[in-house]
Amino acid sequence: MERLFDIYLEKLKTRLIKMSSLVEQQVDLAVKSIEEQNSGFAETVLERENKVNKYDRKIEKLCQKIIALNQPVAMDLRLIISALTINTNLERIGDLARNIALRQPKLTPKPSFYSKTKIQEMSLIAKSMLNNSIDAFNNEDIDLAKKVIIKDSVLDDLFVENKELIINFIKSNINELEKGIELLEICRHLERLGDQATNIAEDVVFIVNAKLIKHKYQKYIYDDIDDEDKDEE
Amino acid sequence: MRNDIAINKTNLKEKISQDKNKEKLVIEVKNLSAYFGKVKVLKEINLSIPKNKVIAIIGPSGCGKSTFLRSLNRMHEIVGGTITGEILLDGKNIMKLDPVLLRRKVGMVFQKPNPFPTMSIFNNVVSGLKLNGIKDKKILAEAAEQSLTHAALWDEVKDRLHESALGLSGGQQQRLCIARSLAIKPEILLMDEPASALDPLSTSKIEQLIHNLKAEFTIVIVTHNMQQAARVSDKTAFFYMGELIEFDSTSKLFTNPSVKKTEDYITGRFG
Repeated sequence: MERLFDIYLEKLKTRLIKMSSLVEQQVDLAVKSIEEQNSGFAETVLERENKVNKYDRKIEKLCQKIIALNQPVAMDLRLIISALTINTNLERIGDLARNIALRQPKLTPKPSFYSKTKIQEMSLIAKSMLNNSIDAFNNEDIDLAKKVIIKDSVLDDLFVENKELIINFIKSNINELEKGIELLEICRHLERLGDQATNIAEDVVFIVNAKLIKHKYQKYIYDDIDDEDKDEE
Repeated sequence: MRNDIAINKTNLKEKISQDKNKEKLVIEVKNLSAYFGKVKVLKEINLSIPKNKVIAIIGPSGCGKSTFLRSLNRMHEIVGGTITGEILLDGKNIMKLDPVLLRRKVGMVFQKPNPFPTMSIFNNVVSGLKLNGIKDKKILAEAAEQSLTHAALWDEVKDRLHESALGLSGGQQQRLCIARSLAIKPEILLMDEPASALDPLSTSKIEQLIHNLKAEFTIVIVTHNMQQAARVSDKTAFFYMGELIEFDSTSKLFTNPSVKKTEDYITGRFG
């Protein structure tokens, strides 16, 4: 027999999925707006930012209602707690997409060294991390969540590498200093986007396995963290 | 030198951890089965109850939780039941103890408040002591004040100790019953859904009381209210169809139970 509570949970999951799909589109459009020099894409991102924020508020209110009326426990509780943090992460990803789109006018035309940077590579990885973390949440797929977590360090390394590249380009093209700084900012946003996707993946692990792996995911991926968890209780 | 400090720290940590693990057990239940006639209502239960902790027993109706509770002070016999296996109280088999002495050590509070209707508040509290032959008025007065204070009722009744207990509200009557149980200084207090007939404010008072009482007593509480079990207890046992399915720390059982059946029950998927 279906529980009355399941109706709330379904509603919550549906809202999270809708929000994540909107946020994915926002990131996609924001990145495209820079790559394709398309101000229309950037404007769409800025216009739809309100929609993301609306989802954020709606999901938070629904979680409050579920907790107050149902006092969830066990996996239900983990799902609600995670829904709240995933919601926050998605909202922040929405902000990152907006921040990227806001830089579109200053990066038109693109700086001469744009094609030599690794921004495209970074955006591909960041977008796939976001996409995979959302799929992992939808399907409660721990393996996919782990892949996202592992990828984060690849993105971090690429960020460091790309930052050095851009700084060197700026040094030899000092007249493009401002554009170079904008590009550095975009790199930072993409790196942060990877962090937020990783947070979502960590929540998936928490929902399914009840393991809190925040700030020690490497231990979780490569070792067993059970003993350490006991120390913290 | 630094290594020595590190080693000492490690030893200390290990010692603390060992001490933590060495909880003093007040009750040990070994292979307990309980019957009504030929019907087996409890099946080979093994469970240890640590001293000064609150243990909650949860499970759907008919799972054997009240029978388990009543077995602990041999009240199961009174309702015509039998048991096999062992229940050790401080290492002694309770079947070899005088039931009256046992029930003095293992007090019980029931679902519905049951003050003695013809007695005053004072006499309700000291009735157990009087039955045990204590007549000294000073001792009785001190015991009444102490028990009523323990039961968080003293301030509300101190000016009307000689009025009928039936003049108290339901919540006050239940705390009076707790005071009555405490007066004979039990080691363990068994509570069979002590707040299920009470309003939220009285329930909250009983829960606060349970929390305070565990400093001096060990409490085993049967409750249908899972939020209550989660709030008041240190450890929770989940019973289902006469079997003990899971027994673990309350925080573990309510956040990440080890057995699927427990998860399904506490999340309301069955029961």
